Amino acid sequence: MGLLYPSALVFFALVPALLIAYLVRERPARVMVSSVLAFRALRGLKGERPWGMPQLDWLFLIEVVILSLAVLAMAQPYVVRKRKPLAVVMDNSAAMQAKTPSGSSRFEVASTRLAAMLSAEPPDAEISLYVTAPQPHRVGEPFDGPARARSALGRVIVTDAPDQRDAVGRLLTDLAASGSFSEVIFASCHPVNGSVQSNVRTITVSDPVPNYAIGSFRLRREGFGAAALRARLKLANFTSQNRTLKVVLNGDGKQLATADAEVEARGVMSMEFPQVAPATIYRAELQPTDDFPLDNLAFATAAAVKAVEVLFVSPVPTDATSLSSLPGVKLRVQSPENYSPADAETADVTIFEYTVPKELPAGNALLVMPPAGDPVFNFAIRPANGIQIASWQRPDPLTDEVNFRLLELNRGEFFDLHPWMESIVSGNGGGLLLAGTRQGHRYVAAGFNPFPFLGKQNLPMSVLTLNMLSYLAGLGADSVGYRTGEPWLVPAGVEKIILPSGASVAVKPGTLFTAATQQGIYQLVDASGERRPRATMLGDLAESDLDLATPVTMQVPSEKRGTPIFTADIPLTVYVIAAMLFLAAVEGLIAYRRRRRSLGMDL
Amino acid sequence: MLGLPAELTPEFLARLEHLRVKTRREYAGMGKGAHLSPKRGSSLEFSDFRHYAVGDDFRYIDWGLYGRTDKLYIKLFKEEEDLLTYIFLDASASMAYPAGDHKFESAVAIALALAYVSLASGDRVMIRVLAGEGERLATSLVYGRYRIVELARRLAAVKPGGQLDLVPALVRELVTIKRAGKVFIISDYLMMLNSVTTGLGLFGAAAMDVTAIQVLGGREISGQGIDGNVELVDAESGERVRVSMGSRSRQQYHETLVRLSREIKSFCFKRGLNYTLYTTDRGFHDFFLRAAAELGLVH
Repeated sequence: MGLLYPSALVFFALVPALLIAYLVRERPARVMVSSVLAFRALRGLKGERPWGMPQLDWLFLIEVVILSLAVLAMAQPYVVRKRKPLAVVMDNSAAMQAKTPSGSSRFEVASTRLAAMLSAEPPDAEISLYVTAPQPHRVGEPFDGPARARSALGRVIVTDAPDQRDAVGRLLTDLAASGSFSEVIFASCHPVNGSVQSNVRTITVSDPVPNYAIGSFRLRREGFGAAALRARLKLANFTSQNRTLKVVLNGDGKQLATADAEVEARGVMSMEFPQVAPATIYRAELQPTDDFPLDNLAFATAAAVKAVEVLFVSPVPTDATSLSSLPGVKLRVQSPENYSPADAETADVTIFEYTVPKELPAGNALLVMPPAGDPVFNFAIRPANGIQIASWQRPDPLTDEVNFRLLELNRGEFFDLHPWMESIVSGNGGGLLLAGTRQGHRYVAAGFNPFPFLGKQNLPMSVLTLNMLSYLAGLGADSVGYRTGEPWLVPAGVEKIILPSGASVAVKPGTLFTAATQQGIYQLVDASGERRPRATMLGDLAESDLDLATPVTMQVPSEKRGTPIFTADIPLTVYVIAAMLFLAAVEGLIAYRRRRRSLGMDL
Repeated sequence: MLGLPAELTPEFLARLEHLRVKTRREYAGMGKGAHLSPKRGSSLEFSDFRHYAVGDDFRYIDWGLYGRTDKLYIKLFKEEEDLLTYIFLDASASMAYPAGDHKFESAVAIALALAYVSLASGDRVMIRVLAGEGERLATSLVYGRYRIVELARRLAAVKPGGQLDLVPALVRELVTIKRAGKVFIISDYLMMLNSVTTGLGLFGAAAMDVTAIQVLGGREISGQGIDGNVELVDAESGERVRVSMGSRSRQQYHETLVRLSREIKSFCFKRGLNYTLYTTDRGFHDFFLRAAAELGLVH
């Protein structure tokens, strides 16, 4: 037992004060009687106290106890109880869906073994439950007792998302070294290696599972303005034998093509389907099936299915002509005078040419040759002639597949160092292409004007422009498909998203959508009810490799901690106050009875 | 009415008319009355014989005795005289407590009722107040029932107070009494028992017919109204006693007081004195008429 504020015990000095007050208050009443003759015999009964002190009665004792309890309550007493805090990390990544030889999934086996392990824990154990996918995180508040933890464990759903092994390793390291848990239990299909601490217990369900997988499913246009697409799949054979794998490609429910491929044992190969007919949703199925059917399916949507809404704000509206020729681009042109901040909220990308907005746009924006000295972006600009590309960042979605050797820029402007935008492409006199994010939105500033040169006559410029638009509108991700567990930006105008399970989630444009943990087609619904499909697939061959269980590596803890003592302080103040109230009620009752008895008895 | 206490209503006084004071002895009075006197007189009560002497009234010669003895004897008869009644009223401070019990007022009513019985019987009454404040009441022997008004008026002026030492006080009174008679001593007798017995014994030794009337308060005898830690102050001596009064101690106090009364009663019984106890929570009229014999009264 301890006291939170032991200094409050000085108030115990009030007890003598109460005693004095009591003695003053309880001085015996003086009563005149006819004779004390018959009372003398009583003196031997309860006797007079020395120095005429009155006898202390129950009321005084109760008051002393109440005062003592009040002082104790001020000191805030507590008792120290030993506790056993446990951290349980349950792997709910996609690989846990694989079936074991018993017919149950890895997840089911791990859950059963984990529940049995928790049943052996003491009833007052405090259990924190963590899951690994899509990102390692704790499930709710710590649970009191194994029963509640088992119940919560039963509600954990295995996702289609791959696990983040590095993040899981860091989580385990932090949990084991934090000193907050007496033990860390990790249930996964991945073994643990590295600096495994003694307080880490593992439940490993890592029976090898022969598996075939589709690693990626990408769609690209055959060329600018072409309606036909080219599909490319990456296939993997995680068995010990060469196998012939068959891929069936469907478009909007119709079979479009099939292809067979001989894949070596533990080998990976690519398969392409040229001239794929346009469709809204493409589905690739790998045959034969195996014990991990999740990665035998892949989904993709055509990038041209939904046009990207581009708002072009420029004093030279004719510059937008070349943009309108791009497939999949829906263009709106507006003069700077008529532009309002609300316009940017309804567009996927807003392009400001030779102008800048008066406030930060509420959406992704491309600034083409912005004027110097604006208060919003505060660019430092120097005019440039005879521009030579000096460097560019790789890999970067803006520079992907751009042949900067062939990029011709006659004139433009160089950017000096910017406070929050990073130079992606630099010329001989400064930055030419800056990119940065603010308030969850992406901004790109170009020191040159690409629009007059779009087309096949300047292919690198076209690719660079498409990269910029893809980066700002998410087209780049569209083309390669989305992966389960990876968050993405909610496009402009989208108000809700229908998950592959059929559940509907309300969203806000421009924010991150983090619930993409299921493989399949997500329907993005805008205000008019129009639906835009978005494909999400596992697409992680490391997750699909069920033959070799990749270990989770724990790090050496950054600081050495002593052996922690796991205790909990249980405050007793409430009980002390309750006892005070009870005693006060008893005192009131006694006083009331005494008063009633003495009514009308005055001599 | 007429300054009499509220207890002495006309109806009650009318009932008192039928009572008279009874003595266990014959006392010489001061005039003709209804009580036999040790003196020879002309009543119908035979007393003795004596030889005839010249000049005796022939009517009192016992002729039957002359026939048998051939000698002349004169029959003597007792005299009937009035009774001298002495009423001593304790007006010490103890009679004023407990205030709500009105002990002194009750004692005054008893004294006046006894006086009225005597006066109505043609006896003489003297009331003496022991201790007390205000005018010291020491009446001479009064005669005639109308004097009850005067006695009541004079008693009304008496306020209880002071300390009473019973034996010296009674000694002082005794030496002033020239003729024996009936004595009523009205007090709470809350004093040491030997003082009570000595005081009462004085009158017994002086051949007085004594009735001790003890007046106690109703709440006084039960100990009500004293609760918890109290400092009790003796109304007369100022002595202080601290007690913790609870139900048990209250019961013990009551038993002590009852035992004290019982010992006084026992003493009176042994000495041939009358004793009665009146507690103020009883009905006054009922008490007086029912306890007439104990008071030394007869119908």
